[in-house]
Amino acid sequence: MSGISLAGVTKRYPGGVLAVKGVDIDIESGEFVTLVGPSGCGKTTTLRTIAGFETPTDGSIRIDGENVTDAPPYERDTGMVFQDFALFPHMTIHENIAYGMEAAGEYTDEEIDARVEEMLELVELPGVGDRTPDQLSGGQQQRIALARALAPRPKALLLDEPLASLDKQLREQMQVELRRIQQEIGITTVFVTHNQEEALTMSDRLAVMNDGKFEQVGPPEDVYNDPDSRFVADFLGTANIFDGSVTAIEDGYATVECADVTVQATAQNGVSTGDDVSVIVRPERIRFAGAAESDADAAANATVSASTNPSADGGTQPAPETVFEGEITFKRHLGSSVEFRVETDAGRELVVVRRSGLDERGPGDRVTVSIGATDCRIVEE
Amino acid sequence: MTNRPDTSSDAGTGTGTATTTDAATAASDTEASTAEPSSSGESGRAGLKSRAKWYALSYPLFWLVAVFFIPLCMLVVFSFWENIPGGRYRIGFTLENYARFLDIGFTSTWPFVEPGLYLGQLWLTVELALVTAGLSLLLGYPMAYYLARMNRPWLRSVLLITIISSLWVTYVIRAYAWQVILASGGILSSAGVALGLLDEPQSFYPGYWGLVAGMVYVFLPFMILTLYSSLRNLDGELLEASKNLGAGPAKTFRRVTLPLSKNGVMSGTALVFILALGSYVLPRLLGSSAQRTLPVLIEQQVMSESNYPFGAAMSIGLIVVVLVFLWVLIRVTNVTTASLGGTEEIATDGGSQPARSSAPGPLTRFRSGLGTAAATVGLTAAGSRLAAALDSVVTRIDANTRESIIWVTFRAYVAAVMVYVVLPLAIIIAVSFTPEEFLTFPPGGFSLQWYAEFFGTADWRNALLNSLTIAGAAALLSTTIGGGLAFALDRFDYRWGTIYGTLGVLPILLPPVIIGVAFLVFFLELEIGGFALAGSRLGIIIAHGIFYAPFPFILISQGLDEIDRTYEEAAMNLGASSFRTIRTITYPLIRANVVSGALFAFILSLNEYIIAWLLSLFLVQTIPIQIFNQLRYSYPPTIAAASVVFIFLTVVVMTAIDRLSGGIWE
Repeated sequence: MSGISLAGVTKRYPGGVLAVKGVDIDIESGEFVTLVGPSGCGKTTTLRTIAGFETPTDGSIRIDGENVTDAPPYERDTGMVFQDFALFPHMTIHENIAYGMEAAGEYTDEEIDARVEEMLELVELPGVGDRTPDQLSGGQQQRIALARALAPRPKALLLDEPLASLDKQLREQMQVELRRIQQEIGITTVFVTHNQEEALTMSDRLAVMNDGKFEQVGPPEDVYNDPDSRFVADFLGTANIFDGSVTAIEDGYATVECADVTVQATAQNGVSTGDDVSVIVRPERIRFAGAAESDADAAANATVSASTNPSADGGTQPAPETVFEGEITFKRHLGSSVEFRVETDAGRELVVVRRSGLDERGPGDRVTVSIGATDCRIVEE
Repeated sequence: MTNRPDTSSDAGTGTGTATTTDAATAASDTEASTAEPSSSGESGRAGLKSRAKWYALSYPLFWLVAVFFIPLCMLVVFSFWENIPGGRYRIGFTLENYARFLDIGFTSTWPFVEPGLYLGQLWLTVELALVTAGLSLLLGYPMAYYLARMNRPWLRSVLLITIISSLWVTYVIRAYAWQVILASGGILSSAGVALGLLDEPQSFYPGYWGLVAGMVYVFLPFMILTLYSSLRNLDGELLEASKNLGAGPAKTFRRVTLPLSKNGVMSGTALVFILALGSYVLPRLLGSSAQRTLPVLIEQQVMSESNYPFGAAMSIGLIVVVLVFLWVLIRVTNVTTASLGGTEEIATDGGSQPARSSAPGPLTRFRSGLGTAAATVGLTAAGSRLAAALDSVVTRIDANTRESIIWVTFRAYVAAVMVYVVLPLAIIIAVSFTPEEFLTFPPGGFSLQWYAEFFGTADWRNALLNSLTIAGAAALLSTTIGGGLAFALDRFDYRWGTIYGTLGVLPILLPPVIIGVAFLVFFLELEIGGFALAGSRLGIIIAHGIFYAPFPFILISQGLDEIDRTYEEAAMNLGASSFRTIRTITYPLIRANVVSGALFAFILSLNEYIIAWLLSLFLVQTIPIQIFNQLRYSYPPTIAAASVVFIFLTVVVMTAIDRLSGGIWE
């Protein structure tokens, strides 16, 4: 088994600041795990304890089954890609990529040369070996940094916001590229980002970090659709959040009293009457009453979540719905979908995302908005 | 012998190094701004790290404390010991040395007191330093202004390189050049006779004004460069804005340029004042016996009279003068450190580096002290009054004529200053090719015989070899001391870090004659224990190695400061051990700084006279010592040839530094 496991990893800085507060995770061999969270949440520190640049104050780290908690960085066999690439400016590309193998001292010159060529092929930049880093573009440097990290055949690949310094178009291209190469090699990968979109699109699993702890760990779809906490819902994607307390639970549906409205939601996470909870509704789960609810529309929603089941026409027991009256205040096109802002009569702003071309309505129009109880996620506050 | 301890300390620190710096970067990365990264006690390898931390510091500290600070303290102790006429001394406690130094006579007429010989000469020393600083400012300001504002980069770099190159040539050669100019058969008197101004050839040295001319010549480059860097930072748009608002050139200068360059004026004046105060060679070679300054008297006591306790007492006196000067500056002028932040001295002022790294320490205060000299001298006021007078005169002429008159006058002035800077060394070069037996100018032909003589004489060859050996070894030593200290302070946090940093730049701030005397008494004491360092090349190497360690220290600190730590992390991540990381990543990235630092130390040691002379005990000859000695008795043109060889060496090394650093002078 070659993977990474962290057990109770804690990092306290000499000044007393607790950057990481006991995180646990078992990363499978070949798995791509993303640590995502706002800046200052401890994700980078966690990655650096894996790389060996930080020694945890408490807890242990295993790579490939071996306890490396106190091992120096150069005995850990990890390959890291840094945010600003850190290509050695006084060396050629070839020398950069060969550096790790030369440090290992186990390879002949021929093996090293062959491996460097192989790596350049892998990142689709053959023939740049004689250049220096400053002769390459940002995207090319990024690829070389990846090639350099992978050349000594590390047990794990560590990526510290490697896409942050690239422009948007290049970043999207590199997301695909990075994932392709990772899957081709099948290397265990830990990726750190503050970009939720990257986290959602690239990973096998993601770990949402906040204030030095993992808030939720799971596959992107699960974390997105079924956030475990208000923080996760808010951080990943857009969420309409109703904070209130549970006044009743009937037939598996909870009634949540908020300051302005009362929401019906499927009872989950063991909530009981009297609990303070947050009800989370993703924008694409909200419907406009009376709008053409075509098959295409249903299909569009279904791609986001298979569990959505409006059962508008003749289901055995229709789920309760929460209905608001309001006015569209803002509308913008997002390409394949349209985002609306609706201000309810009670004064709450809702974000609604609909497939493009279904609604002619625009700012100033009155709408009736409905939220199905099954489209809600309820978490304890 | 000097390399080994340093490398081993480097290797030993590696592991700890990484963790410390990482903690620092990570803390800022996670925006844990309240964290005090890497101060102490990190779990895990804390024990190893704290040991590595002290290993790293022990080497530079050994030199700076045991071999530098202790001699300075011994100087104080020595000054209370009793002298036994005949070159010996006795441990004891006497105030006799100070009494002799501070002797004051009483008279019946006003002002009723008459300073004794030594106090009188002390005042002369201060006066000379003030006159030198004042004249340097008057000559240097227009020059620096022109350099900063001119539009032709190539000409600027030619002028700068010329000024800078002359800066490093040993005082001995430059004083010699002035002897050639001022002597009775020299250029000045020949020209005077030819023009009918003088009836017969006349010597202008030794004498007060000849000495002043030489002193100003020697210290002017420091002034120009300091002013230049301050004027260079001045935004050109500000000047245009002033003109646009209707201010004439004189008014713009008075209201905008001058106030904004105040810091440069102060730093430059203070720097020249302190350098002139400690100057030995020029007063000795260009002054008469009436112009024996304190450094000359100190040397005389030590070398001629062998009265070490009295020499030590006078050295303490000189240090006190420097300290009082600084204290008065800080008190009287009340200039804040911040207002001086804009000035950056070139290499000669060691203060900038450690001052930057922390809260205002003693050095920062020192720098601010340096900067405020001008105010005491009242030069700023004088300068602006002059400008005001000029302004009222020129406003009466119409604008265009005025501009062109100013411009032409200005250029002529600059050209004259440039001639003043360049001519002396040019004359030496010309003289070295004379076919005649005596120093004559202009030379009556062309001959290489004096070069043949230089390279053919065992004494000269030996001196050259000594000079190169000492400079080479001293450069290595100062690079290991300065580099070791820079590395330790960069990688670890020490409780007294600022003090260690100050210690790293302190040597260069003291007058060299004091350093020489301090080392001499130290070495003489060591001799009792069996280490014969006085009168040996090794002794000079050690003294130079420590005295010039501030240059590599400052340059290497700067290099380490600018390195992106991620490169080192990347290397370690790729499996490179700490030592391999330093060898393949850290060192190559700061190589230019290391080599420049070493070359600076090399060139300074090569050209140093007074410390080498005091420590030579007549047993070691270097080129400056050899030239100096020859100047005392005869003037064979071989001296000129030796000087030219030396100037050539200096220019080559300076060019190398310039190449390496990609234009360090800008």
